[in-house]
Amino acid sequence: MGSFRIIFFIIGFALLLLLTLPLVNMIISSDPDILRSTVTDREVYTSIFLTLRCALWATIVGLVMGVPLAYLLANWNFPGKSVLQGLVDLPIMIPHTAMGVALLMIYGKKFMLGSLFAKAGISFVGTEAGISLAMAYVSMPFLVNAARDGFLSVNPKLEKVARTLGASPRQAFFKVTLPLCRQAIFSGAIMMWARGISEFGAVVILAYHPMVSPILIWERFESYGLKYARPVAVLLIIICLFIFAGLRFLAARGKES
Amino acid sequence: MLHLCDICLQLGGFKMNSLNLHIRKAEYCVILGPTGTGKTVLLETIVGLHNPQQGTIILDKKDITKITPEKRHLGVVYQNYALFPHLNVFDNIAFGLQLQGIPRRNIRARVHEMAGFLRISHLLNRRPGNLSGGECQRTALARALVMHPKMLLLDEPLSAVDRLTRDRLQSELKRIHKELNITILHITHDLNEAFFLADRIAVMRDGTILQEGDPETISQQPVNRFVAELMGMRNFLQARVNSNGSVQTASMGPLEQDILPTLIPHGFKKIFITFPDWAVEITPAKRKHHWWHGKTVIAALHPGDNHIGLDLSLPCGTTIRTSFSQREIKQLPEQPTLGNEVYVGINRNCLYWLPHEYG
Repeated sequence: MGSFRIIFFIIGFALLLLLTLPLVNMIISSDPDILRSTVTDREVYTSIFLTLRCALWATIVGLVMGVPLAYLLANWNFPGKSVLQGLVDLPIMIPHTAMGVALLMIYGKKFMLGSLFAKAGISFVGTEAGISLAMAYVSMPFLVNAARDGFLSVNPKLEKVARTLGASPRQAFFKVTLPLCRQAIFSGAIMMWARGISEFGAVVILAYHPMVSPILIWERFESYGLKYARPVAVLLIIICLFIFAGLRFLAARGKES
Repeated sequence: MLHLCDICLQLGGFKMNSLNLHIRKAEYCVILGPTGTGKTVLLETIVGLHNPQQGTIILDKKDITKITPEKRHLGVVYQNYALFPHLNVFDNIAFGLQLQGIPRRNIRARVHEMAGFLRISHLLNRRPGNLSGGECQRTALARALVMHPKMLLLDEPLSAVDRLTRDRLQSELKRIHKELNITILHITHDLNEAFFLADRIAVMRDGTILQEGDPETISQQPVNRFVAELMGMRNFLQARVNSNGSVQTASMGPLEQDILPTLIPHGFKKIFITFPDWAVEITPAKRKHHWWHGKTVIAALHPGDNHIGLDLSLPCGTTIRTSFSQREIKQLPEQPTLGNEVYVGINRNCLYWLPHEYG
């Protein structure tokens, strides 16, 4: 191995250590008895499943609404495109609590869209729908950007050839472009789901209850201290680690094939 | 067959201005032009991927200007093949047939028939990533031809393959044209390719067709310096047309107008006199068919594979360029070396005049 690679290996390893050390330390320093009781704590696993479920809903919304936008961003040139791209990236940059306040002022029962949805019996404050909405807002850029990069990587002539072979624009998209971007979109969806699970700031403003895992961890930390907050965090980390490792494995296999 | 009438199209910075082109049934038409001249845009306009702001496209006596690409029934093969990478060769060829809802058995039969015709039957289960350039090209041709298109449009189909494969594919294209009796519009910047394949050549530049005709006419009677340069001519002598009709070249003296193949119309004051490389002869003495004969110095030697290029510096300061095959060089009275003085004659039968405007 050349010295160049050795230097990169050392730097990369140091970063990995920095990233994993707090997590590993938290897992090994947890009290096994409290961890065991946490696993059987109904409130904890209800909260974890709620988090996973809401993040999944958010990702589905992201797929339905984000993929068409990503396609337009990749294939259309129009005035103000960079501004639109900046708007897509905005949720990454602004504090998520600020995003939560902004969402509350639109989807709150007394506000614009909130009152409209309330007439249809849908409320976003203190509900699963509100949690999913907050998660979707803050994690959408991950899916849109990944999908856009995927669409950009597809040779535009492929769709053109498909059109000359008798495909309508819709058929060309679904039969050629989309299958070729499947991996990129899947990776973006994993990232969006992961980001949704970890969301705290926007969710805590819009829907403190029912409690998603990040809020439950914070609440236990505030009420009972570090000792009782840590097992919930450990449990969430372990579950997420298995799920994402599995999804990444699937994504890698898909890419190879 | 296909008539493009006054096509005007603006696409970003590119402009196509009142373009006219007529392609006859079963004709092999080649559009020849340098890169960035709008050849691919023209092809995509014919296919329906760009809508012209003005003008009409008539295919088989039917106006197809407003018809969407999928309903035009035109086959396209792009430079880099544009095979669907997620499908194997069979599914690539079958793509269009499946969209038409043709029964599976019929699709199978047609794909196998076309694969046999293009000699790629053994590749049907392979993905495009595992094919060579030539195999990709045959697959792309099969995919277009299996749809029985009214016309086949080829966008620089041979520019991404090696020389040997290109030679083979050129012959293959000739065979396809002959056996299927299909109308082909082929786009290229390669002169040899155009001359090998074309029944008719259209020279294109900056979104307009400068000249169209059979290969012989284009090469022997280019309409302007651009076409002449594209045809490989490299010698352009500035000349003045006097009021009495006589022609005076700036560097090589007077010239009788009657030795030019066509008369210079009244009104042309400045012209170019041009001649192909092979019109320049190195001779020990003046010959009857020479318009000009004199002593020159070999200013540069350009050794090539089969030819040697010579830059000949005339006493008046003009440089004329020529090339000789290895065999011709051996037959010369004296072997050319740099700085040598040689007698040079220009064959009067090969002279041609062009308008001075570079257009």
